[in-house]
Amino acid sequence: MEEVDRILIHSLRQAGTDVGDEVESIKQFSSELIVEAVVRCLRAIDPALGNGLSPSLPPGMSARFRLGMSLAQACQDLGYKGEIGYQTFLYSNEPEIRSLLMFLVEKLPRESSEASDQPAGKSVLLQKAIAAQIKAQLALPWLPPNCRLPLHSKQQSPGPCHNFYSQPLCVPYSARVAQKKQSKEVIEYYRDFLAPVTTQPSQPMSVPASLLEHHASELSATQEWESEWNSQGLLSRLTPEEYRSRKRARLQKRIVEQLRAAAQNRPDSQATQRSSSDLAELLQSFSGAMAGGEVLSKGTRFTHTEKFTFTQEPEKAAQQMAAAASSLPTSRQSEEELQAQQQAELSDVQQQLQQLSIQMEEVGGEMRRLTVSISQMSDELKQRELSNAEKEDTVRIKKQTIDLLPDAENNLVKLQNLVEASAKRVVHLASQWEKHRAPLIEEHRRLKELCSNREIESSRMLSEIKNLHDKIRQSADEAKKKEELYKQLTTEYEHMPKDVSRSAYTLRILEIVGNIKKQKEEITKILSDTKELQKEINGLTGKLDRTFAVTDELVFKDAKKEESVRKSYKYLAALHENCTQLIQTIEDTGTIMREVRDLEEQIESENSKKTVTNLEKILEDYKAIRQENMVLAAKMKEA
Amino acid sequence: MELSESVQKGLRRLADPAAFDAARFAALVEAAFAGVTRPGSEALLDHPELKHADQALVKLCHAAAATVILEAAKQNADRSTISSCLEEFKFDAGRTDLFCDSYQKHKKAVENLLAGIGGSPPHITDVSWRLEYCIKNGYVHKVNQPSYLISFNVQSGVSGGSPSEVNFNCTTEQLQDLVGKMKDAAKSLEKAAQS
Repeated sequence: MEEVDRILIHSLRQAGTDVGDEVESIKQFSSELIVEAVVRCLRAIDPALGNGLSPSLPPGMSARFRLGMSLAQACQDLGYKGEIGYQTFLYSNEPEIRSLLMFLVEKLPRESSEASDQPAGKSVLLQKAIAAQIKAQLALPWLPPNCRLPLHSKQQSPGPCHNFYSQPLCVPYSARVAQKKQSKEVIEYYRDFLAPVTTQPSQPMSVPASLLEHHASELSATQEWESEWNSQGLLSRLTPEEYRSRKRARLQKRIVEQLRAAAQNRPDSQATQRSSSDLAELLQSFSGAMAGGEVLSKGTRFTHTEKFTFTQEPEKAAQQMAAAASSLPTSRQSEEELQAQQQAELSDVQQQLQQLSIQMEEVGGEMRRLTVSISQMSDELKQRELSNAEKEDTVRIKKQTIDLLPDAENNLVKLQNLVEASAKRVVHLASQWEKHRAPLIEEHRRLKELCSNREIESSRMLSEIKNLHDKIRQSADEAKKKEELYKQLTTEYEHMPKDVSRSAYTLRILEIVGNIKKQKEEITKILSDTKELQKEINGLTGKLDRTFAVTDELVFKDAKKEESVRKSYKYLAALHENCTQLIQTIEDTGTIMREVRDLEEQIESENSKKTVTNLEKILEDYKAIRQENMVLAAKMKEA
Repeated sequence: MELSESVQKGLRRLADPAAFDAARFAALVEAAFAGVTRPGSEALLDHPELKHADQALVKLCHAAAATVILEAAKQNADRSTISSCLEEFKFDAGRTDLFCDSYQKHKKAVENLLAGIGGSPPHITDVSWRLEYCIKNGYVHKVNQPSYLISFNVQSGVSGGSPSEVNFNCTTEQLQDLVGKMKDAAKSLEKAAQS
């Protein structure tokens, strides 16, 4: 029983009951401890059920009684089949309490085993790691700053800190550029001039930040591309390169359109002249990247203005530079002079600007006019050419007719023949065409069908591919999760206290099982012994009966003849009767002995129930309740 | 440990015995760790073993190795994680061991480097205080209240650990409030350590 008690107490401690170290068996449990243990267990099993109960015994007797009743009710609700009532808790006896606690401990939820099946979330792991770190740091003794070794200083003072500044890095054969596209110069640059990545950032402190940032951005770019490819790219049935180039072209087209729309909204205003030329440049560069400026081949106005501003800009820049240079040395002059100078400069520049803009407008107007006239002219030219060709045709026909006129009849017949022959030929050709057409149409239909079949097939394959992709991703995720779980469990296992109790328990259980087997064997042996004995007894009784009957008959026969034998017959009968009586007595003694043993056992069990002390306690409690009642009655009377 | 395409490419080349023999590999790993732990030092790749290799390849592999080192330190990867990660790129056992040994050797330095990124509030290293008893002031004839002049010696992280002072003046209640809050903070720290 000690083993069971130890296990029970261990489980109760885990459930949160404050069982003292000196308590070693259920026998030593006091009423308070029992109530607390039961309430804790109830709370662990069913919080709704247990939360209404207080784990400590109240001082008032009636309150105790009520608590006992509600505890018993709760246990019965949980499905406890044994006898239970308030007396179980208040006037405890060992076996009842043991069976009750065993029932409750068995009902305790096995959180730990269930929880370990699920991998703990990342946040939980992180929190654990943080807690461990804090614990480690708290465990260190505090040292005044002057006494710190460099080893400690990392943990107790922040050390030099700097912010996360990252700079773009250049890595040879970067993933963004396909290798075949690299020109010779780029490769040469990589080989001879590119600095290693760790020396690229201008500040040594930003090296880790830059490297991490570079890596993260590449990773996220790959991920984005993959998700897009899986969602849209696969459906477009293009190779990745084609898809990429098409997307790029689409984007560029959209940008170009947007920019052009924005630029054309205000074509003539002075303010947008510069920006529109910038836009033109931008557009040019975009279309340049697209290979060939076809998109902008018609944008004459932009190219003109571009040229115009291009020729202007260096001059302007030179002027500005000169102005800036002249203002530099005079910066120490008084402010009014400076202001006046600036004013003058400003007006000068404004004048220039106005002049230039006027000039520009004039030139622009001229240009527009000229372009319009050019287009008009070209239109006219085309029309003239057309009419010219027409006229030439009519002249040719008329000339032929005139040639035919002299020998009119012959020629008419000839012409008619010619016409008939052509008609025949046409009919013949049409029939031939029909002949050719039918199989061709057939072929066309067949091919079309084939094509649609293929399409269906390919879409099926596509969906299959998609499924496969999903599966792959899922399995990869699962594998990763499993791996993490495995790692976590191994670390947990390593951290687990290697308590011997488990193996001790199993050993003990095995021992017990062995003992039980042995006992069983013994019991069967005894049983068979008993059976044998019974058989023997039965056989002996039968033999006795038979012998007696035979003897009885013989003696009876003889007794009829002789007087002396009659006496012996009487003796025989008496002997038989006496023997039966003896046997009866022996059997009675056996039953009585058994009864005595039963009774002794009963006495023992009754003794173990602490009946006397419990009765005394009940009496005391009864008195206490009466006293309470009296006090209450007195209060009632007073009130 | 997830690695980007260019890093993977670099590692694959690094594992290739044809591109990097053992001595060259050791030199490159050494250079990568040196580049991470002592950033900015010039002439990193001037090792004689590396001089004769294709410089672009060396730079690519150097970048990859440096990234792996930083990522591993960032994720607090242990030896088994790194070796399994490297084995994916067909590193043989000798190279993996060499890399892991160097990693163990430099791990603390790399961690310190990463821990140095970011700011932290200044640390209090010492405190001194003075009790001031105000008898009267310009407005009230009789004040009779104590007040505390407290001066914290702090060490701020951003400015490289140079000590400075924070001075303030508070009444008894304010001081009690401050002490209570500090106690609360210490308690919650302990609670966090136990969870």
